[in-house]
Amino acid sequence: MRDPDVVVIGAGGDGPACASRLARAHGLDVLVLEGGAWHGNEKWPEPHADSGGTISTDPDDLDGKLLDEQFTVREADANDPTWGYLRVGPADHSRAPWFRNVPQNLFLWQVSAVGGTTAHYFGNHPRAYPYAIDEQPHWPIDYEDLVPYYQLNEAVTRTQQAPMTNKEEVFIAGAERAGYDRIDTLNVTETGWRPQPNAIEAPPADLDAKYDGSFSYDDGFRGDSLAADHFQGGPTPEDAPVREKARKSSNVSWVPRALDTNADPELGTVAIRPNAYVTDIATDEGAGGLEATGVEFRDTWSGNTATVEADVVVLAAGCIESPRLWLNSGLPDDGWVGKGLTTHWFDWIVGTYPDDAIEEINGEANMDPFVGQNSAVRFDKPGVGGMEDIGMTPGLVSFGNYLFSRAGYSFDAEVDPDEPWDSRGYVVGKELKRRMANYRNTKALLILTDDLPRRNNGVSLDDTFADEHGAVPEIRWEPHPDDDAKRDELARIAARIHREAGAEHVHRCDWPPLLLHMQSSMAMGKVVDENAQAYNVDRLFVADHSALANGVGGPNPTNSGQALALRTADRIGALYF
Amino acid sequence: MVENNDGGVSRRTMMHGLGGLAAVSMSGMTERQAEAALAAGVSTDPHTRDTYRAVVDAILPRTPGLGDEHVPGGLEVELEKFLIWDFNHFQEIRLETLAETADPTVGQLSADQLEVGFAPAAADSALDALLDVDGITEDAIENTVDELDGFLDDPLGVGGDGIDVDDLRERLDFGAVDRFDVSIADSLEEGSSGPATFDVVVETADGDTRTAMRNYPYGAVFPIAFDIVATEFILLGKNEDAVERGNEEFPGGGTFVQLSREDRLRCLWSIVDGGAIDRLDELLSTLIADVGILKFVVMAVNGLHGFGYYTEWAGYQETTMEMPNDRRLNVPPGEVQSREQTGYPGPQPGYAADWRHAIPGGFDDPEADDLDLPDDLTGDDVIDDPGGESR
Repeated sequence: MRDPDVVVIGAGGDGPACASRLARAHGLDVLVLEGGAWHGNEKWPEPHADSGGTISTDPDDLDGKLLDEQFTVREADANDPTWGYLRVGPADHSRAPWFRNVPQNLFLWQVSAVGGTTAHYFGNHPRAYPYAIDEQPHWPIDYEDLVPYYQLNEAVTRTQQAPMTNKEEVFIAGAERAGYDRIDTLNVTETGWRPQPNAIEAPPADLDAKYDGSFSYDDGFRGDSLAADHFQGGPTPEDAPVREKARKSSNVSWVPRALDTNADPELGTVAIRPNAYVTDIATDEGAGGLEATGVEFRDTWSGNTATVEADVVVLAAGCIESPRLWLNSGLPDDGWVGKGLTTHWFDWIVGTYPDDAIEEINGEANMDPFVGQNSAVRFDKPGVGGMEDIGMTPGLVSFGNYLFSRAGYSFDAEVDPDEPWDSRGYVVGKELKRRMANYRNTKALLILTDDLPRRNNGVSLDDTFADEHGAVPEIRWEPHPDDDAKRDELARIAARIHREAGAEHVHRCDWPPLLLHMQSSMAMGKVVDENAQAYNVDRLFVADHSALANGVGGPNPTNSGQALALRTADRIGALYF
Repeated sequence: MVENNDGGVSRRTMMHGLGGLAAVSMSGMTERQAEAALAAGVSTDPHTRDTYRAVVDAILPRTPGLGDEHVPGGLEVELEKFLIWDFNHFQEIRLETLAETADPTVGQLSADQLEVGFAPAAADSALDALLDVDGITEDAIENTVDELDGFLDDPLGVGGDGIDVDDLRERLDFGAVDRFDVSIADSLEEGSSGPATFDVVVETADGDTRTAMRNYPYGAVFPIAFDIVATEFILLGKNEDAVERGNEEFPGGGTFVQLSREDRLRCLWSIVDGGAIDRLDELLSTLIADVGILKFVVMAVNGLHGFGYYTEWAGYQETTMEMPNDRRLNVPPGEVQSREQTGYPGPQPGYAADWRHAIPGGFDDPEADDLDLPDDLTGDDVIDDPGGESR
């Protein structure tokens, strides 16, 4: 594609949604440039060992069995931050990940690939709390403006209620005994629990404890297979074509839909080029000031560079790389580029259960965290944040439950006797092995605090290190005392839910910042206007989670990021084409 | 647009390429030694290995008493190799981003900020040797020692007895290390580009370890930093258990491995929470270009036990130190040592399990025009005057 109407920088969670909408609803030709690899595309049969092809426009290039081979769902193979296939780094696995300077006790978790960080998400698609958009003083648009886009996104990603299995039943029992009611709506204004709205196809009706059939698509299996492999890439059901994988990360949902436009002469076209890292946004002095004219990118395998001209440039590189590229491109910064980063000031409250407590609820002494979806039930408290019941594989559990803290080691960390947890901090040594020996009866509740944007949190250019793409990003994030107070409140609720469900031991990890849900580093109302167009550069839009004006109140942000990207595509079409 | 006509150069081709050999030969290795070093992948010196072994042993010890399958710990699967590999493959340094000397006005990194060379065995003390690093003049050493003295006089910033530099000299120990040398092997002439190759030479009484590698060798540098932090930790009296000089379990280690299991971890935590890297910035910055990263490293030192031990990593067996594309899983992921201890069966294509939908009929979702949302939140959901925006 030599002369696209629009170039989209990044094929993560949001870029493909924006690109598809531009081609489908506005007839535009769109080139999407992605810095990372493309898994499950036959033009790149060995995406981490060989440079493979150049560009893909044909949905028939997508190959689900190839994706099965590449997404082994082995834990270290997938999630190791240095060498896993789901890391931030060049596709070439003989090279190190992309360096970000993080001078604090903080873990930054992203994926560079077609599909971006949705390549390893849980598939949760709750909407923002209406409160977070309408009643916090951040957003120049109304919640109701986003609802039609939520509905479109939920249709394409087949968002529905998650299935309840044994571990969820334990959570529900705890929440109801603690006095919380079920919420039946997608537009949440009250406190309670509900199944996760998630972008994972429901399991088949005949899948139950007696099922002894195959889990292969080729044998007729459809939908979710209850294998909690979503953080390892989630390619189940095995053998399914890419677009029929149960979990609709954007490489499964929006990417095929975007490529489908190429077969319809009535629509625009979409081309996606992986291994293409954008290093500069070109601008010109236009009639009304600075305007974007295209981009320069670098092939991550060959090192060759090229330029692309376009009528509109869309930044969708994520909350870290979008501001980094802006700043490395020398675009004007009036003080909010990269700032105001929100991250749902997480915490992690772990319950360990005796067999009889689980048996009383489920009829069997079984809460295996590897059965069912990773996160299928949630708690909502608009104004404060949310909570999610989590089950994962043991490598992730040992890290999340016991090896990630800001409280020091549990053998030294004092526990306030008035607090409802028994221990806090890192758990190591014999106690770690004892807790992990009880892995099958352990579950964690993830706290998602509604942290608000603050200017001194975010991304700047590092003054020590650079790589071939320019100065690397330096990332800092510290909580505000108000956010700490909200997190403490949610942690106490989580501990109470565990207790009511019968947990014999409750542990509070007191996580340091885990930057996984990242939002608002190029916020609407600060860096971009109500159309998501940059205040200071015409024809430059932001269509990723960084354009969200806050952390949407605490719910997982993917649905909101994608909905806003779809709306932005419509604004681009209306303003320029 | 540029078409990618790259022929698919493999890692091994690059490793054995002229650039790599020329690079290592500059460090004084013979071509034969260089061939051996490159072919062997990443080798590990005794100080590095035993320092990480001491961390692994603190977090995942042998545990008799929990049941037979729980007895072996992280050392049984050589988990230290996991930490070393990850740190050694953590940051690529590009030649085009380096200058001969630092230019603070443009924030450019200089080569000498990444090069370290000192010889504890050849100097009066380990401290003198450490301060005698490349790029630091004698005047600078004098100044550094003076500053250090003043700084350590009041280590906690609250007055009281400080640390004497002589105490530091006496206590600081880098274990088996007789000489430690990290250098950039490539030419830094203008126009050079691509990933830098680092030579790491560690001399010990038992022989030399020479490695040429394509990333900054943090794996070997961090243990040196841990010895410095441990020295201060001991001199401040923060250790709760006795210090054991000449720890026979970890004979290659320095001051750090002399600490008890829990004290090793307390020592690491003093980097995050105890201000150790602020007090020791003068010393540590001779080793690490951006000392702040050590807080991230402590996070990683702990967390990597989860990504290593409790995953299938040990099943890669003799290929654990290979590049990712060359690793081979020789033990089923549900059968490695740690999975025997957790009962996780390894990845499965699905599970036969009972499930239900919690909301009969599904979520309520009116069209946007029909939404009737309350004007305000009420009750305990409201936090008065939430601070946040624009702060």
